[in-house]
Amino acid sequence: MKPVRARPAWRRPPIFPILVIWAVLTLLLLLFAPIPARLMGQAASPTMQEIETTVTWFTGLSAPVAALVWAILLYSAFRWRHRGSEPPMEDGYPLRDNRRVFTVWLLGSGVLCLVLLVWGLVVIAPRTAEANPAQEPIVVDVTGQQWAWSFTYPDEGNKDSSDLYLPVGQTVAFRVTSKDVVHSFWLVQLGIKVDANPGETTVATVRPTQIGTFQVRCADLCGLYHSYMQTTVHVVSEADFNAWLQHPAETSS
Amino acid sequence: MTQSATAAPSRPAAPAAAGGLMRRLNVFTGIVAGLLLATATWWVTSSTFPTLDSGDHKDDAVTILTLVAWVVGFLVGVGAFVGPVRWLRGKDLTHEDELYLAGKDLGAWRYLKFTTDHKVVGMQYLVITMVLFACGGTLAMLIRTNLITPGSRFVDPATYNSFVGIHGIIMVIATIVMVSGPFGNFILPIMIGARDMSFPRLNALSFWLLFAAVPVLLSALVLGGISTGWSAYAPLADQANRGMDAFLVTIVTFAISTGVAGMNITTTAVKLRARGMSWSRTPIFVFGTVASVALGLVAFPMFEVAMILLGMDRGMGAGFYDASIGGSAWLYSNLFWLMGHPEVYVILLPAIVALMEITPVFTRKPLFSFTSAVLGIAGIAGLSLFVWAHHMYVSGWAPVLGGPFMVTTELISIPTGLLFLVLLGTLWRGRVWMRLPVMAVYALLWNFTIGGITGIYLSDIPVDQAMHGSMFVTAHFHYTLMGAGLTGAMGALAYWFPKMTGRMLDERWGAIGFWVAQVGFNVTFMGMFAVGLAAEPRRVADPGTYFHVGNLVSSIGAYTIMLGMLTFLGALIHSWRAGEVAGANPWGARTLEWQTPTPVPLENFEVLPVVTEDFYGYSENGHGADGVSPPTTPGAPPERVEVGAP
Repeated sequence: MKPVRARPAWRRPPIFPILVIWAVLTLLLLLFAPIPARLMGQAASPTMQEIETTVTWFTGLSAPVAALVWAILLYSAFRWRHRGSEPPMEDGYPLRDNRRVFTVWLLGSGVLCLVLLVWGLVVIAPRTAEANPAQEPIVVDVTGQQWAWSFTYPDEGNKDSSDLYLPVGQTVAFRVTSKDVVHSFWLVQLGIKVDANPGETTVATVRPTQIGTFQVRCADLCGLYHSYMQTTVHVVSEADFNAWLQHPAETSS
Repeated sequence: MTQSATAAPSRPAAPAAAGGLMRRLNVFTGIVAGLLLATATWWVTSSTFPTLDSGDHKDDAVTILTLVAWVVGFLVGVGAFVGPVRWLRGKDLTHEDELYLAGKDLGAWRYLKFTTDHKVVGMQYLVITMVLFACGGTLAMLIRTNLITPGSRFVDPATYNSFVGIHGIIMVIATIVMVSGPFGNFILPIMIGARDMSFPRLNALSFWLLFAAVPVLLSALVLGGISTGWSAYAPLADQANRGMDAFLVTIVTFAISTGVAGMNITTTAVKLRARGMSWSRTPIFVFGTVASVALGLVAFPMFEVAMILLGMDRGMGAGFYDASIGGSAWLYSNLFWLMGHPEVYVILLPAIVALMEITPVFTRKPLFSFTSAVLGIAGIAGLSLFVWAHHMYVSGWAPVLGGPFMVTTELISIPTGLLFLVLLGTLWRGRVWMRLPVMAVYALLWNFTIGGITGIYLSDIPVDQAMHGSMFVTAHFHYTLMGAGLTGAMGALAYWFPKMTGRMLDERWGAIGFWVAQVGFNVTFMGMFAVGLAAEPRRVADPGTYFHVGNLVSSIGAYTIMLGMLTFLGALIHSWRAGEVAGANPWGARTLEWQTPTPVPLENFEVLPVVTEDFYGYSENGHGADGVSPPTTPGAPPERVEVGAP
């Protein structure tokens, strides 16, 4: 029979100092939270805007979780450390389990997981809606081949281009395919990426909202000159777009 | 755990005489036989195979068969089939032969032979793992050197792509075996109180298959490289040059090796645990390693099949992945990721459970919440089979499955969280004896937090649209596989080094190397996260000017890793040769492997132990800090002594 002590030393864990470290770390991580979206650059479509918001929120939500792990690590490494080259003379206390901590931990991670899921599924929903807008989208056929992109506008007399031109504010539907191997069609600042598969056509839609010149890249290793498989997307005003359709030589680079 | 005491195998009436061919076989005869058979196969196939009209399939067929012939010839020459052949001839191995095969009285030679002793196999795995890391690490340095300046022509794009592919596959193979190979073989059988593995010959076979696969893989360097990345997506892989043939033969060989090893480790852990070692008294390392190798048994055949189909495409123009004749590139990517996602947990689980074994020893506390640990391992192993399509969110294949796969992927954070809980709970208020092994726990928890959280971004379908195929992904999985996996393996090596080599790992230089590598690691991959967010695609030889700063930072970090790893390696080699001699139980640990003498004798235990409680009872039931009062009582019924005897 072990003697029952009222409140042994190990029952008084250093909750307060760990909370302080946790709060400081959480604050630091929250200050860091906007940085990833900044690195991703100016969003040029609602899709990309949403992605950047999600990234910022995910960073913010995970800040207290990471801070908790690191706070315990830091405290343990400095305050619970046994110094010396010999093992400690006394053992630690025999903590086998703690049902309350287990339950809280499981529920906590479950709730966080649920938040992520709902977030993700809710954000997917409008994307699907965007695919069926009231306005008829502009269709662009995208073809990847080693190592270049080419664009065809089937509604405009199959006009061809090696640069992508899009009118601002209008929904565009891309029909993406490949002539040889798998490529990945990536409109960086528009937040669109879909693979170009040989023998298949994949679809992506986007509504550019920012006039400017942005990158088109290949995001899937496709052979020797994969690095150079890039071109430009020009998001232009409706008038400029129509002008380009009529006089390609003047505006295409 | 019942064992028939009466079923002694009947020996053939006339056992073969001691001596014979098997005593002359070793790695060198293996190499000679492999080269001979490969040359003969090359000669026969290249002079008899027809050249098809449909393309250059003949070269590929010849290459594949030649490389397969090397593997088969090598195994014959090293003596892998001595046992079965003798059995077929009705001259089964005598007890003396078995002892010879186990390496009795062979000295250092036993490391160069088809030796069945699990401790020899463990050491062989340790050495080959380090060789693989050295090759893969050198390639990583070359890759980072090319990325220092934009437009760098340190290597040309073809060579660069090849380096990326070979670096990838070498590191994947090395990390898969880095814990379950050396420690799963050397330590696990002793930890459960067994004399050897269930199938000692299969154990040796698994190592020598891996050994035979390494030159095949490296031959890719001269056969035109692996230009596809290690994921070898079809149809790019159909198009690639003959390095791809070397790649697929490597994968098939390696898959057989892991299959044999996984089956063996699983059977050993299920059948050979000491008397009294119920599942709730079995060390957590055994759970995690078995979960990992059992997961591999399900996962790796997918890759093996994918590669056999690729071999038929390349060698005969079968067209499994060729859309123009009815095949599909998505068939390949599905098969690949059916392996690819379980595989990351095959790598992670043993590393994490090794640290779960280490933490109680250095905090002098029981493992916190054994139940959580088991639940976490089981949850991860189960869920990881159903998350593969998150690698294909943007592939265009079945967009309708995006939602369900997002659910399974994010659910896996719950069992992963339990593993964090176990490690943190064990550290909680423990008296941390800050030696090298437990330092890995801190490094792992730091890195794995980052690796885990960045995985959450990628699990979200819209975010993945921006990040898929970018350097962000590369940084993420390096944080999990290297930051968590390799870190855990280094901790495991520091922990079991005294038992395996009989000497202590030099603490000072080991720790310096370890922490320099950790700092370099974080610098490298933080820089890589930044360039990934800024939209640098992965696997690009020339990322362009916009990512210059981040890439420079990453390359500086990478050289720092190299510095740290070389220091660690130096400490390792020095300690192995001339380190302080270790006692049988230098850490005061309680698991069974520390209750055997060092060096561990051939059959591990003079008398098999009987287990009466679990191994984490620090400070309970009057166990002192010396930790040398193991929860076992010596003495076992005589029939137990026979179990597992070679």
